[in-house]
Amino acid sequence: MSGPAPHHGGVTSAVVVGAGLAGLTAATGLAARGVAVTVLEARDRVGGRTHGIAAAPGTQVDAGAAYLGGRHTELLALMAELGLKTTPTTMLGASRFGLGTAHTTQDGRFPPLNAVALGDLFEQLAELTEAVRPDAPWLTPDAERLDTLTAAEWAEQNLAHPDARLFFPLFLGEMMAADPAEVSVLHVAFYLRSGGGLRYLNAFEGGAQQDRVDGGAHQLCERLADRLGPRVRLGEPVRAVHQDAGQVTVRTDHGEHRADVAVLALPPLLADAIEHHPALPVRRAGERTARGCAVKVHLVYPAPVWRDHGLSGWSVNARGPLLSTVDDSPADGGIGVLTGFVTGAEAHRFAALDPEQQRATALRQAAELFPMLPDPLGCHVTDWVNEPYSQGCYAALLGPGDWLRLGPSLTAPHHRVHWAGTETSTAYFGLMEGAIRSGHRVVAEILARR
Amino acid sequence: MSIDLTSTATPEALVAIFRRVLEHDDVAAHSDFFELGGDSLIATRVLSAIARDYGVELTFDDFLLAPTPAGLARRVAGTA
Repeated sequence: MSGPAPHHGGVTSAVVVGAGLAGLTAATGLAARGVAVTVLEARDRVGGRTHGIAAAPGTQVDAGAAYLGGRHTELLALMAELGLKTTPTTMLGASRFGLGTAHTTQDGRFPPLNAVALGDLFEQLAELTEAVRPDAPWLTPDAERLDTLTAAEWAEQNLAHPDARLFFPLFLGEMMAADPAEVSVLHVAFYLRSGGGLRYLNAFEGGAQQDRVDGGAHQLCERLADRLGPRVRLGEPVRAVHQDAGQVTVRTDHGEHRADVAVLALPPLLADAIEHHPALPVRRAGERTARGCAVKVHLVYPAPVWRDHGLSGWSVNARGPLLSTVDDSPADGGIGVLTGFVTGAEAHRFAALDPEQQRATALRQAAELFPMLPDPLGCHVTDWVNEPYSQGCYAALLGPGDWLRLGPSLTAPHHRVHWAGTETSTAYFGLMEGAIRSGHRVVAEILARR
Repeated sequence: MSIDLTSTATPEALVAIFRRVLEHDDVAAHSDFFELGGDSLIATRVLSAIARDYGVELTFDDFLLAPTPAGLARRVAGTA
């Protein structure tokens, strides 16, 4: 690495708000070029929407972002630099489906629904996905109409077969943790395109869920933060960002931090909750911008016992709370972990229950879904919907009107304030890859300042 | 959407459908869909296209038994 180069258009100091993947990538990049950085993190941990929890003593599982694929080149490069390895997501064996009155077992991932009806759904989604402008969705042909229409309204107008109507919300829940009533159809098309298209985003092997970070994705941020050392300050929720002619002042409950520039590496709903002086010309979230609705439930078994029954652990269910399950067992051959995904409208219902009710309903459903398995040893619930310093997961959901209004200023700096976060990346929006790419972009922006 | 029931499902027509949904041209009449990178999600798109073009609804199991353009063309001819 070359020595510090102190003059980048006069930027010698930066405050980064948010110690998730975007913020820590940005801080690391700026520090490497001689910029004095301070990272302010509201929580008492780094990682943002990546988070490791102990499923068993010494075994961490991903309570937040988990999966990656070969196209996630910046994430793979970062993992290599940090000495982290991938472990494949296993999908061998038969699936369980709860799409009608009874539960069924079938080979492969294909649900027992009318294949032509699902094909009609995917043909229409593919057409929308191919038509969207990936770098600027607000400039898509027919953007005005697509931005106005919710995905639920679109389904009402375009899906005739009951199986397509049944499957569409499950698909949106799994792909983007969205309730169709909350997202515009433009956002759906953009999200699918941004993530590499329908097939890539949906696939495990050869797709976006092919691998996980061995030992947990939270290690990415922990290792980046270790390198930054005391420059990362925890327990510092930012309340206000004031700019004057020369500098920017970032105020927390404990003090003020002045720097040449600030990077707000936050989900849009949180960026908007900060007081900005001067005021933002365009807010970061719109009237209809919603929280990504995801709750993750980890069911812990003494071993991946479903494999003994020829099952992959994969299931898809029309009734919640667990709308799908996937084998997220650690690679070391120890405990077995099934991750249940509670998404979309179901996540709102589930998140409103008290913790005991959540565990009881999840365990009851697991017993119905996998009657051949012993009771889990443990059940861990991670509610991202009510997480104050994320306000949803996987990512913010852009509702009707949002893309046309917010899109053109997605990355435009507000004087000395620059924007990062996975929601500011038109490539791999909502994914870890998008967060890292936004961090790289913001470093380049700041170094190019005059 | 009109269905032209007089048209015939030729292997060439099925090759064109495969190429469109797989987004590459490396498809021949006897190419196996899954070896070409296909999966169950885009297999349903082929079934939807067949239903639209020929008015024949094949099942997912039909597809698995004959996952090539030539094989599917024969299935369509046999069912139509």
